Amino acid sequence: MTENSNKLTFAGVDWPVIFIYLALVLIGWLNIYAAVYDEAHANIFDISQRYGMQLVWMGISFFLAVSVLLIDAKYYHILAYPLYWITIVILLGVFVFGKEVNGARSWYEFGPVRIQPTEFVKFTASLAVARAMSSYNFNIHRFSSVATVFFILAIPVGIIMLQNDTGSALVYGAFFFMLFREGFNGWLYVALFMLVTLFVFSFWLEPVPLLLLMLLVCIAGEGALNGRWKQKIVYFAGVLLGALGLYFLFRVLGGEISFYAGLVISSLLSLVVVLIYAFRHRLRNVYLFVLLFVGSLCFTNTIDYVFDNVLQIHQQKRILDLLGLESDLKNWGYNVNQSKIAIGSGGFSGKGFLEGTQTKYDFVPEQSTDFIFCTVGEEWGFLGSAAVVILFGALILKLIAMGERQQETFGRIYCYSVASILFFHFIVNIGMTVGLMPVIGIPLPFFSYGGSSLIAFTVLLFVAVKLDSSKKEHIRRI
Amino acid sequence: MNPARTRILRFAVIATVLILLARLFYLQVVDQRYKVFADNNVLRYEVQYPPRGEVYDRNGEFLVQSKESYDLLVTPRDVKPFDTTLLCNILGVDKALFLREMKKAYQYSRRRPSVLFKQLPKEVKLKLEERNFPGFYTQYRTIRSYPRKIAGNLLGYVGEVNERIIERNPYYKRGDYIGMSGIEQAYEKVLRGTKGVKIQMVDVHGMPKGAYAEGVYDTLATPGSSIVCTIDAKLQALAEELLEGKVGSVVAIEPSTGEILVMASSPSYDPDELVGRERGNNYMKLLRNPRHPLFNRAVMSAYPPGSTFKLVNALVALQEGTLVPENTYPCTNGYHVGRGVKCHSHSSPVDLTAAIQTSCNAYFCYVYRNLVDDKKYGGVKNGFDVWRDYVESFGFGRKLNSDFTNELNGTVPTRELYDRIYRSRWNSLTTVSLSIGQGELGVTMLQMANFIATIANRGYYYIPHVVKEVSGQDSLDRRFYEKHHSKVDPKHFDVVAEAMWRAVNVGGTATGARIDGLDVCGKTGTAQNPHGKDHSTFACFAPLDKPKIAMSVYIENGIWGATIAVPIARVLMEQYLADTVTRPDLVQYIKNLQLSYPAYDRKQQ
Repeated sequence: MTENSNKLTFAGVDWPVIFIYLALVLIGWLNIYAAVYDEAHANIFDISQRYGMQLVWMGISFFLAVSVLLIDAKYYHILAYPLYWITIVILLGVFVFGKEVNGARSWYEFGPVRIQPTEFVKFTASLAVARAMSSYNFNIHRFSSVATVFFILAIPVGIIMLQNDTGSALVYGAFFFMLFREGFNGWLYVALFMLVTLFVFSFWLEPVPLLLLMLLVCIAGEGALNGRWKQKIVYFAGVLLGALGLYFLFRVLGGEISFYAGLVISSLLSLVVVLIYAFRHRLRNVYLFVLLFVGSLCFTNTIDYVFDNVLQIHQQKRILDLLGLESDLKNWGYNVNQSKIAIGSGGFSGKGFLEGTQTKYDFVPEQSTDFIFCTVGEEWGFLGSAAVVILFGALILKLIAMGERQQETFGRIYCYSVASILFFHFIVNIGMTVGLMPVIGIPLPFFSYGGSSLIAFTVLLFVAVKLDSSKKEHIRRI
Repeated sequence: MNPARTRILRFAVIATVLILLARLFYLQVVDQRYKVFADNNVLRYEVQYPPRGEVYDRNGEFLVQSKESYDLLVTPRDVKPFDTTLLCNILGVDKALFLREMKKAYQYSRRRPSVLFKQLPKEVKLKLEERNFPGFYTQYRTIRSYPRKIAGNLLGYVGEVNERIIERNPYYKRGDYIGMSGIEQAYEKVLRGTKGVKIQMVDVHGMPKGAYAEGVYDTLATPGSSIVCTIDAKLQALAEELLEGKVGSVVAIEPSTGEILVMASSPSYDPDELVGRERGNNYMKLLRNPRHPLFNRAVMSAYPPGSTFKLVNALVALQEGTLVPENTYPCTNGYHVGRGVKCHSHSSPVDLTAAIQTSCNAYFCYVYRNLVDDKKYGGVKNGFDVWRDYVESFGFGRKLNSDFTNELNGTVPTRELYDRIYRSRWNSLTTVSLSIGQGELGVTMLQMANFIATIANRGYYYIPHVVKEVSGQDSLDRRFYEKHHSKVDPKHFDVVAEAMWRAVNVGGTATGARIDGLDVCGKTGTAQNPHGKDHSTFACFAPLDKPKIAMSVYIENGIWGATIAVPIARVLMEQYLADTVTRPDLVQYIKNLQLSYPAYDRKQQ
């Protein structure tokens, strides 16, 4: 390699991204130091302490970051599949050689060092997906193409689920973000959005108002498309009268029926009228709303079963706590409540470095890993936490911009994948510390203590930087 | 390739950032509750208890001392295996009780200290320190001790606050002590001092992590102020000694200041009994005692005053002009109008001086009836109102507003009361027993002593009080320095005082109180008691000119005033004025005199 080409290796690098990265890693380290600070071990190089160890991980990460930039971009394309399969094998190896930590069997242990392969699979899966989607015969609208992508993602998801690490498995849902950009079916996202909304409302509302709300939304949606509001009012009144009629009819006949059941029967019967109406007037979009209504009805009636029987108890409680339906500050709600106290007590400008009592005195659990953001909130206040949030937002927007200016599909998809993964971690981790998301144990990239996480995110990010810079190199050569 | 979707994604990222910023702004800047929650988490307030103020008598002798005492606390987590038997021996507690208390502490918290035993003496603390039991430690408190063991009811006792007190007064927290009666209660704010606080930071396990903000918010405890009492400890002790075995009370006042020299109530108790670990049991014992030792008879018992009240009627009639000292009335073993009032035999007729000397009942029936029936009032009821006004001006029938809690009003009947009893049909004859201090009258010994002080002062009194000086304060409340004049002109007092002097020194009912050279003046009383033997009472002051002491003695079921009240007063007067007891035989006589109290003791079964 000539001196000239060596210079060129760094020439096209997007320096703002590097700066954001360095800023996040350094701020992260300061907060780890504060979170586990203890007067007896104030030496920052003490590797028996987490901040000392994190310095080691940072050194390794910086070394790897430079290495990634030195390797020619084309190798990432070439090595995508082999790397993917190697990490999958390593991931499977955990079942045999791994160690269980906090109920999740997802760690290798080498003496004092523990490695979590899950973190690295995010990187290789991103490469593999980018490779698959950038092949010439890939078509996002073709089933077999999409199936390939889902296959690549399903293998790690399946293995991670088996290791009982649901949080890390959920991260792969982030790829939907990238797929949206690549033109994946938009209706799927609408449906997904509605499901989440319906899920939340099914907890907040009693069955009768929920059903009425669904009915009203469907009628209003149909009305917005087709007009004829008078008919809608008559129809809605008719359904209500029917429900009341059924309710009292059963009473008179000596039976017993709940108003909810009456309303369900009445609205389902009314669908016959709606279908005939739609057929006569050739209004095809009405079918969609009928489908939506029936689908919602089925969904809300099965959700309780799924919630009670599929989710584990701590997952149920975390969701109930988030929705404000159940408060148990001593057990399930403890983490989030203490996290909110730590962040909330920071005030506008924070308590100052090393002055955060809630984190320093262990009121916040996992304060150097998953709940590291609490230290930021408590010691640096709104100013500090806002700065971190904005840095993350800027980094993600930067990655989207990088993806957009790529000329090759592989690079674009890879950059978007990185943006998606970071976005997911960002929204879920910070969201949970401020009580907007259920507690899902995933780290805050570049911040949380942990070698595997820091190294994996560094490599993940710097491959994107390398792909971006080599594109510029290419242009310059022309 | 797909700019619309890229825009949507960018928008989603920006929206997320904005939502998180808004949420952070709400949590950190808008909602202030989290700061409080955080303080609740991390700050622990450690109370620094001040020593309670001490109480001295008027000569600087200790009445109440604050003794250091220690509460034993335990932090179960830090306890290492130890010799339970040894610890129990040092503490002097039963092993079973000790284990029970330990279990409670474990149940409360393993990491937080809880109080095991309270009010351990200093010796125990030193022994504990010698042996060093990890996990156990002591906390400084003070408890009361009473070197003279006198004046229990006057000084009052200190107890732990209950929920009701905590609710009413936020200063008090669980485990604090408060004055429950007597001076301890009346001067609580002065004696208690101010608690200090040490704010500590603790971690999630409750382990201390150092002072909060380098201790700038910590405060030191301010010790309670000491109090100098008006009581003369020596005299008080003698009074209590003389009263032993009897039921009754003695109150003595310095007329020139209103300072209470003696306030003894019998039966009394050793105030030390209401301190320390046995306090609860002893308190219950005292509470169950049928003679009610916890009841301060000097201010809480309203007695029929008997003949001592004749002095009041004489003064009122003199002021209203319905009586002049030269008026004489006949007495033939009593006053024989209506139901009549009996009298003992003495020469007849008598003038005012002789009537006071001999305590003639008939004379005062005339005095009273002539007063209230006087034409100028236009009816007996109006006359009665005039009489009542005078009586009240002497401090009867109302609280004197002393610095003493639990003062009783006493009773002076009103026109309305008689209207109710007699359906408005009553006259001077119906109420004639008031003339000799019987009937519907109720007077406390504090009120009677105060009245005698008013005679001694020839017309005014200072509100009687028990505290002379509070350290750190220049003066007492202003009301204790104001002269309160009765409605009777000073010029009328001399003849009454003179008559009282004659009753003791020339001849009369009270000659037993005579002390050579001390010019004792007095008036005996024998209050009729429908429930048993008559009560013996004596009110006196000395010397005749520039009086130094006014005293009132009341012995329930003591029969004649002269039987017991007079000798007691005589011994106490001499002790106070001459600092000697020249008649040890009299002391012996008082002590040997056995009085029975079937009304109290019957209840025992």
